[in-house]
Amino acid sequence: MPDSGYPWPIETTRLDNGLRVVVSEDRTAPAVAVNLWYDVGSRHEPEGQTGFAHLFEHLMFEGSVNVAKTEHMKLVQGAGGSLNATTNPDRTNYFETVPAEHLELALWLEADRMGGLVPALTQETLDNQRDVVKNERRQRYENVPYGDAWLRLLPLLYPPGHPYHHATIGSMADLNAADLATFQAFHSTYYAPNNAVLTVVGDASAAEVFALADKYFGALPALEEIPAAPDGRTVAGTGRPAVETVTTDVPAPRVYVAHRTHPFGSPGYDVVTVLATVLGSGRGSRLYQRLADGERIAQPDLVGAYGVDLAHAPAPLIATATARPGVSGERLAAGLAEVVDELASVPVTAAELDRAKALLSTAWWRQMSTVDGRADTLGRYATQFGDPAKAADRLPAWLAVTAEQIAEAAAEVLAADDRAILTYLPEQGR
Amino acid sequence: MTLIAVRPGAGAARPYRFPQVVRRTVAGGQVVAAHLPGQNLAVALLLLDAGAGREPAGKEGLGGVLAKALEEGTAQRDATAYALAIEALGTELVTGLDWDSFQVSVQVPVERLSAAVELLAEAVRTPRLDPDDVRRVRDDEATALRMEWANPGPRADAALRADLFGADNRWGRPMYGDPDSVAALDVEDVTVFHSEWFIRPGTLVVAGDLDRLDLDALGAAAFAGTGGGPVERGGPIEVAPRPGRRIILVDRPGSVQSTLRLGHPSPHRAHPDHVPMTLAGTVLGGAFTSRLNHLIREVRGYTYGIRGDFASSRRFGRFAVSSGVQTAVTAPALVEAVGEITRTRETGVTEEELAVARSWRAGQLSVELQSPRAIASALTTLVVHDLPDDYHARLRESLLAADVAQVSAAAATHLRPEELTLVVEGDAAVIRDDLTATGLGDLVDHHS
Repeated sequence: MPDSGYPWPIETTRLDNGLRVVVSEDRTAPAVAVNLWYDVGSRHEPEGQTGFAHLFEHLMFEGSVNVAKTEHMKLVQGAGGSLNATTNPDRTNYFETVPAEHLELALWLEADRMGGLVPALTQETLDNQRDVVKNERRQRYENVPYGDAWLRLLPLLYPPGHPYHHATIGSMADLNAADLATFQAFHSTYYAPNNAVLTVVGDASAAEVFALADKYFGALPALEEIPAAPDGRTVAGTGRPAVETVTTDVPAPRVYVAHRTHPFGSPGYDVVTVLATVLGSGRGSRLYQRLADGERIAQPDLVGAYGVDLAHAPAPLIATATARPGVSGERLAAGLAEVVDELASVPVTAAELDRAKALLSTAWWRQMSTVDGRADTLGRYATQFGDPAKAADRLPAWLAVTAEQIAEAAAEVLAADDRAILTYLPEQGR
Repeated sequence: MTLIAVRPGAGAARPYRFPQVVRRTVAGGQVVAAHLPGQNLAVALLLLDAGAGREPAGKEGLGGVLAKALEEGTAQRDATAYALAIEALGTELVTGLDWDSFQVSVQVPVERLSAAVELLAEAVRTPRLDPDDVRRVRDDEATALRMEWANPGPRADAALRADLFGADNRWGRPMYGDPDSVAALDVEDVTVFHSEWFIRPGTLVVAGDLDRLDLDALGAAAFAGTGGGPVERGGPIEVAPRPGRRIILVDRPGSVQSTLRLGHPSPHRAHPDHVPMTLAGTVLGGAFTSRLNHLIREVRGYTYGIRGDFASSRRFGRFAVSSGVQTAVTAPALVEAVGEITRTRETGVTEEELAVARSWRAGQLSVELQSPRAIASALTTLVVHDLPDDYHARLRESLLAADVAQVSAAAATHLRPEELTLVVEGDAAVIRDDLTATGLGDLVDHHS
């Protein structure tokens, strides 16, 4: 068993204004990854403002005090870099990987939008990006079969008022109601050095990065108080499954079975991660062997299970299957539930466990094989667990999981009476 | 002021380096490897001359069915035993194909690569291909394609390709076939394709820490029991231009977006204008700040994104623009997209735009070529297109050296807005009249 999942140096500092800076030097390639995790996500959104954290992420590319509209993308790509940003229930992150000689440019751009977004934010920009986000919603969720599954699963798993009850993309109605002042306030409330982690990985030394971080971010003021998101750590079970059936324009019946498990980063979630791999990753998984191969009721390319790595409340485990022609949604749902139920009663064999751990090892080293993958990982551990070096513990923790722990976890968190079941059925005549 | 107003300049540029490339001839096959010292992960990829271009017309999707059938058991073990053996190493068998090649690969911690390559070779060279299994895999593939074709995009792509290249030709049909072509395949098609193309040695591409790998042993495992030499691959295909622009309407009732696919034929990969053409495509539709994305997304808000590029294989190429736009603005989005293509052809590119395009494309050669899988993919480019070991360094130089005159000339020569096929997949009842009123070309309804 490897002692560490992170065999590279990690150095950290904290600026006087609270910005945490994480550096991991690696001179293998002349590239450097810059990654900012802001500890704000859709879990912070009050009712009536769903989708705001994500729409705000778009606005962060539209100019700031010293960066003209559209210039951010142009400068990073014009430096040879790749860039993007993502928002999820937990957090928002912004990242670019650039040839190493452009590190300072990347830090300057990030500092300018951390400290100088509000004065540059205009109604025109908001209106434009609102339209872009509405098109994103159409393209990813509305215009594709089963595209809204995640939007439907969350409210089945988390009750109203829970920070994970609504999806990050938000509702069209809330997006339409968004006004400029709300977004200015959003930045002033959450975008501050003491609510962020700056991670730099690659062809740069810690001393160099610390000095540049101080130069560009050091004078930004800290926020006195940053409002916490609602506490979602405890979710009471209802004692009966949450069931939704959608009859719509889809090509075949599909079933999702979902459970609340443990927060990402906890020992319980490490067990769930291995469990999910045993259950639904690869052709050797239980779902594939039983439903796609054995009974042959599920389409082989569309059967699987995975955990969603959320850290602030019991994270979802989702198993899904899509029916082969002639198989009813009912039969598929029964088959899927049976395989999930058996995790508590049919012990996981040594071969199943070894297979899962081997796949997880490869997945871990794949994430570590690029500077941007490493930067995102360190930023996550610094933000969510207070210490980037804790990233090294994840792989060993997965590799230490036992078959007994998996059976116990299955009995604890996969109970049939505390399950969300979402079924899509084709419309009549199809 | 707490912010620093002055944008910093670039530091000292680091020299560009692509990993050291090693080539060997082993057991009748070629090994092409890249040395990634200290990398814990390694990739091996077997490259066969069995791309979609080798499928007979009317047999589209054959390679995809064979790819899945490889995992339904081998001469040594059944499907379940095979899955457990290869996944116990930490990898799945990853298959892929394009017009020029068929690829099958494994990705594992470096010390497991030898065992993984042995299993890869076992599936590729000695699959069981039991007729019942092949028929089931074929039916599953046809179902999988039906699922995929329920999404917006595949029908529009197929309509564009057929109009550009002619549906009578293999290259005028979808690369992965369509649900009907796959459903019509029989067992013999699959076994014959295997015996014709999957027993030849091919090339083994390896990306990993070569100090911890034995290339001769990997090659010997990959090429054991193979025979037959390379087969003539054929020259560039002459595509007759089809004069006049037209709109093809693919109905998708109730769609909240319209899927746009605009395109025309363009040169093959080895054409001397490859680099300036790539840069012209980048200015027009490649970079985030491209003309198309700037206007259609950032100014108009019609879409989540729009992109355009020149793509090429050994024998042919195409220029294409793709996007999904809100239904109500389909016609103006189409008009403005065609307008930007026309403007780029007529007035070329500016130095400011080109500066972004050339630095971006050059920088991506370091930024995006880090993981073993990305490096393996770069090596396959060398093999498929007969390029030298220092190709990436040379490409970087030619990207950085391209000037406005060259790139504008490439735009003028290779963009042909008057010959565009404009495929629109959307709610025909809502958008048909608007599309006709654009005057962009005759409107044809697509029947599939």
